[in-house]
Amino acid sequence: MKSQNLLSLVSRLENELGGFSFEELTAEEASNLKSAFTSFKESLERKVNRQAVSTLSLGNEEQINEGSFPTKKKQLKNRSNSKEGALIATVSHELRTPLNGILGFSGLLKESNLNTEQLEYVDAIQSASRNLLDIINELMEFSKLSLGMEKFEQVDFNVRGIIKDVLYLCNTLILNKKVSIRVNLDAKIPDVLIGDPSKLSQILLNLIGNSIKFVETGEIVLSVKLIRKSNGIWLEFIVTDTGIGIAEENLKHIFESFRQAEPNTHLKYGGSGLGLSIVKQLIEKLEGDITVSSKVGVGTSFKFILPYKVGNALNLQRGTNNNKYEYTDKELVKNLRVLVFEDNLLNQRLIEQRLKSWGCVRHITDNPLYGLTILDNHQIDIILMDLRMPGMSGYEVTQRIRNSKSDHIKQIPIIALTADFTVQDKEQGDLIGINDYILKPYTPDELLSKLVKNKRGEQITFNGSSKVQNSSITSNSQNGIVNMKAILAECMGEIGLLEELVQLFKQNAYEFIGKTKIHLKDNDFNGIEFAAHKIKSGIAMIQAHTLHSIMVQIHKCARDERDITKLKSLYADFILEYPKVENAILAEVEKLKNESNGA
Amino acid sequence: MKVTEHRRRILFAEDDDLLASLLNFRMERSGYNVIHAKNGKIVKEYLSKSMPDVIVSDIMMPYFSGIELIDYVRNVLKSSIPIIMISSAGNEENVLNAFKLGANDFISKPVSPSELLVRIGKALNN
Repeated sequence: MKSQNLLSLVSRLENELGGFSFEELTAEEASNLKSAFTSFKESLERKVNRQAVSTLSLGNEEQINEGSFPTKKKQLKNRSNSKEGALIATVSHELRTPLNGILGFSGLLKESNLNTEQLEYVDAIQSASRNLLDIINELMEFSKLSLGMEKFEQVDFNVRGIIKDVLYLCNTLILNKKVSIRVNLDAKIPDVLIGDPSKLSQILLNLIGNSIKFVETGEIVLSVKLIRKSNGIWLEFIVTDTGIGIAEENLKHIFESFRQAEPNTHLKYGGSGLGLSIVKQLIEKLEGDITVSSKVGVGTSFKFILPYKVGNALNLQRGTNNNKYEYTDKELVKNLRVLVFEDNLLNQRLIEQRLKSWGCVRHITDNPLYGLTILDNHQIDIILMDLRMPGMSGYEVTQRIRNSKSDHIKQIPIIALTADFTVQDKEQGDLIGINDYILKPYTPDELLSKLVKNKRGEQITFNGSSKVQNSSITSNSQNGIVNMKAILAECMGEIGLLEELVQLFKQNAYEFIGKTKIHLKDNDFNGIEFAAHKIKSGIAMIQAHTLHSIMVQIHKCARDERDITKLKSLYADFILEYPKVENAILAEVEKLKNESNGA
Repeated sequence: MKVTEHRRRILFAEDDDLLASLLNFRMERSGYNVIHAKNGKIVKEYLSKSMPDVIVSDIMMPYFSGIELIDYVRNVLKSSIPIIMISSAGNEENVLNAFKLGANDFISKPVSPSELLVRIGKALNN
């Protein structure tokens, strides 16, 4: 039975832990760790015993049912399958709680003063526990599937985007290996399809991830082909690797649950043996089909087909309205009367300079009260408001303006200028009537497009999602995504060093993407906070403002709110934005390189 | 050329490799001998054998935090070597702690390399 399998997994873990004594680690956490593990093991044993009992009682029920309704054998089998699924779902869920204790306490232990040997032991505990957590997560997934609890979507999605995301994630897995991943994408595949994007990425991640596990050196190739059939369009995906291969007699069992190609596979490669079974179930529920062929020592090839409909780019949920409202026409702000609340002299001069060059009428003040009197005595079209001013904050000033007796003043659009702000800031701002936000430091283009966008009569309201980043994404012009010139100056013009830094940046980003995916799965907020902290300064260095604001939010959310749903959505935003940033970096470095060669 | 002239040594503890590469380069360019440590363990190991002319350390470090480092240098090694801390935003409490324990100066992220060099120069001349 499957629960027996779990028990044997636990004893495997225990064996691994048993290699050393906890008493060696004198820290208090060691005993906590040990008790967490014991409680985990006991909880599992209890569950397994209870299962024996509940199977018995459920068995009786079934007989009663059988008496009253004529049931077919097949239905019976399905029923017992789903009971098993329900049991696994509960067991898995309860296993996770003490396991989180193990992971948490061993994490604390790691932060205390340990010597190198002790550190190694703690790392071993952590990696074994993580393996176990992965297995449990897969179990839950599997049971959800067999219970029919999994939900399938039919939405418009960008299939190339999904494949690109999957590759980014997979690239994080091969950093330490001599493995490359190649993609052959049929040009005839439409950009937008209707289907379930998250299931597709799950299937691809599972299959490519599986290949990565079994390939030491060599290549993994993903080919995607469009097939037109009388009943619509299908995509054929083939994942081929140059891995260890699977013997023919084992090939037919490959999709069975709790089965790995060879009985000792898990010893070397780990895993629950559920991954491929999940893949097969997913594909079948999506009305597709999967086959496998393999040769020992040569490699393995998985081929699956899935049905899709052609979608419409207008229905895409994300990233569709990004470039709609980009204005660069200075004529549109000529003679615009702008009042600026800004206390920093340097920023004052910068804004003054820019507004002047566009022909705006400018009133700039560092004194909130004086600024309010300007409003009473001059015609103002738009207000730029620094949120952090000494004396009276931008929020307070905004509130006063919105409470003004004059209907005209009340409605003047206000754009907040801020160096760092959170979703709470945004909520508070929305509440008191701030119309838009500009994140400092900003480019002249950004400022210009915000002015145009918010000037009276041309206000654009975003329907649906009111995410903070929307505003900044819209305003990023193609070449304003990053600023590599500033960092090249810091490198004293050494292009070689700049390229080295870019390489490091990419590596860090991949690491962040990979680690955070795992942390999200584990609800590991500390892990996310640390990962975000690590990459934040690099992103600030290249001045990727949009990506930076996403990262600041991820960091804050992981540290303070600890809202996993929100983090997942921010992570999705990161995945969406990152490729743009990487492309912009590479393009700009290439440009700078040519310039320096030419000079 | 005074090739043999003693180059001042900076023990530089920073786990962010991107920032570290840039700062390393700039410090070496300015004529310092940089010993880069990726974590607190390496810092401790180095300090047990040798004493640099100045320590530049991130406050948030794996295994052995910047705060522990100051405590170790001042109270265990009893050294008055200049220590400059690098802090990230939202770490004000740590900065106060660092000063209390005997840090000489601090610079906050994002670090401007030129500013750091000025601060290093100042610390060495005092």
